[in-house]
Amino acid sequence: MQLAASKARPGGPPETRRGLPFKINRRKLTETLTAYTFLAPYLFVLIVFTLIAVVTALTLSFFYVDFGFTTPIFYGFRNYLNIWYDLTHDGDFAVGLRNSVEYTIGVVTLQTILALFLALLLNQKVRGRGFFRTIFYLPAMTSSVAISLIFYWLYQPQGGINYVLSLLHIQGPAWLENPSTALPAIMLLNIWTTAPTFMLMYLAALQDIPPTLYEAARVDGANSWQMLWKITVPLLRPTTFAVVALGSIGAFQIFDQAFVMEGANGSPLRSTLTAAMVIYDTAFQKSLMGLACAQAFVLFIIIFAVTLLQKRYIDVNIQY
Amino acid sequence: MSTIGGVARVEKVQLPSVAVSMRRRPPLPLSLSRVLLYVVLVGYGLFSLAPFLFAFSSSFKTYAQVLSWPPSLLPNPATLDNYRFILSGAQLFPRYILNSIIYAGAVTVLNVLLASMAGYAFGRMEFPGKNFFYLLTLAVLMIPSQLILIPKFLVAYTLHLTDNYGGLIVPAMVTPTSVFLMTQFLKTLPRELEEAALIDGCSRFRAFWQIIFPLVRPAVTVVALLSFQGAWNEFLWPLIVMSHQENYTLTVGLAFFKGNYVTQYNLVLAGAMISIAPLVIIFFIFQRYFIQGLSTSGLAGR
Repeated sequence: MQLAASKARPGGPPETRRGLPFKINRRKLTETLTAYTFLAPYLFVLIVFTLIAVVTALTLSFFYVDFGFTTPIFYGFRNYLNIWYDLTHDGDFAVGLRNSVEYTIGVVTLQTILALFLALLLNQKVRGRGFFRTIFYLPAMTSSVAISLIFYWLYQPQGGINYVLSLLHIQGPAWLENPSTALPAIMLLNIWTTAPTFMLMYLAALQDIPPTLYEAARVDGANSWQMLWKITVPLLRPTTFAVVALGSIGAFQIFDQAFVMEGANGSPLRSTLTAAMVIYDTAFQKSLMGLACAQAFVLFIIIFAVTLLQKRYIDVNIQY
Repeated sequence: MSTIGGVARVEKVQLPSVAVSMRRRPPLPLSLSRVLLYVVLVGYGLFSLAPFLFAFSSSFKTYAQVLSWPPSLLPNPATLDNYRFILSGAQLFPRYILNSIIYAGAVTVLNVLLASMAGYAFGRMEFPGKNFFYLLTLAVLMIPSQLILIPKFLVAYTLHLTDNYGGLIVPAMVTPTSVFLMTQFLKTLPRELEEAALIDGCSRFRAFWQIIFPLVRPAVTVVALLSFQGAWNEFLWPLIVMSHQENYTLTVGLAFFKGNYVTQYNLVLAGAMISIAPLVIIFFIFQRYFIQGLSTSGLAGR
């Protein structure tokens, strides 16, 4: 650091006939060295824990890695064949993927609609907008584990949610013990915690829409409903893409809530076993790191393909 | 990557432009639709708050009372025994809390410092490789953490960063999100700020430290809050990296505590409250910065 700093002082190299370009190059070099000094800690983390990790993940997916016992053995495509067998024989990974997909579709659809709805409400001329925004955001800020513990309690057969339902004369199920309600229960919890974040993104985007568009539409006799569907929703498409894409990337990786509420096996009857939980189990309980890397890579490919599709169909530029 | 378009869209939102304060407005005419609007707003507000309030009040209930049907809103009698039991040394909770404070504290300080350095280079300097590494930063924001979880663990293991604070702190000490936020903010500051000083022979390091760093407080607050929140709430990584119980963070400790005290909801809830309380307090003090940061980064959906 000291070396680079001292080089930056002027009056360094003596003037030569070709002094000017030489000097500029020298300054450029100093600037470059300084910039990389500033970047060094970040690039270290980025390269070691992300780039090397991505390459290692890919490589290891072709190896048998029995963590800590034997050296990795080249395995060819056997990990992937193993996954294929699992997928075609209703193995854990097949169940986990299916649950994760089901979970993602449900959560992303509902949380996007809810986020847009809340943002549209808060974008009205309301008193106490900041207050409401803060309150709405509260669930998004707290730890997934703490929230899961609270809802683990609320979802009990004799818990708060069934009590509220009983006031409406509805007999609530044993949410977390019934294979048909366990995953939806976790979905509802996550919609509740994630929607406010995306509400903020929508709110920021709504404030960017020029009011003149609405004025012009009003002059032309459009009603609020038409303005919503003809102006607001189309202009929000890039934000909707971001909301759906980020939402899907997050939802596909669901782990904490299911793990805390239903345990590592995704009880009852694997109904809350997610892809991420299977990967965790393969890597850290069964110690099959290579297979786990291959599973993670399959999950990544699915997420990536879904994001591409969403980009293709949602992120369409609308010109006015 | 394909999703950069989405990020680019979001980054146009400048930090200071997000209006957060409650502005005074002239009284509005009351109509049915406005009444309905407030009913829905208050209703959703209650929906957001109720689970926390109910859990908070129930964390002061006795075991018998927390199981009673119909559930009572308020504890009667109110007892501090749940908190006393949890915070007594026997449960290792004081240790979990300390671990979480060290982890989140270190990650916060390091992110502020290292991300503002990186942001300074990306936002205010010219050098070969700049665009490459910045685009890489944006691309990395889109990589699902699951993909690199296992090799990240293997790298940490190779570097002897498992079952110690280093394993928690080093991989998180400067995140792409923090760098992205800092860069976006530092870009907006006028170039003239340090130009004169640089011409007068001031080094880049002094320009950064004495001229620019004092000006980045809004961005520092956002990065600090998001880093603290991220580390305080993180579950999967500490679960993987830490093996001895005394090294667990509060989130991991809580998850295992729930496994041992399944139906003792009064104790479980008290534990959850201890985990939530610091963030709620920080959130209410700094909520406008939180919301600015999230509107800008749009990355908290995990």
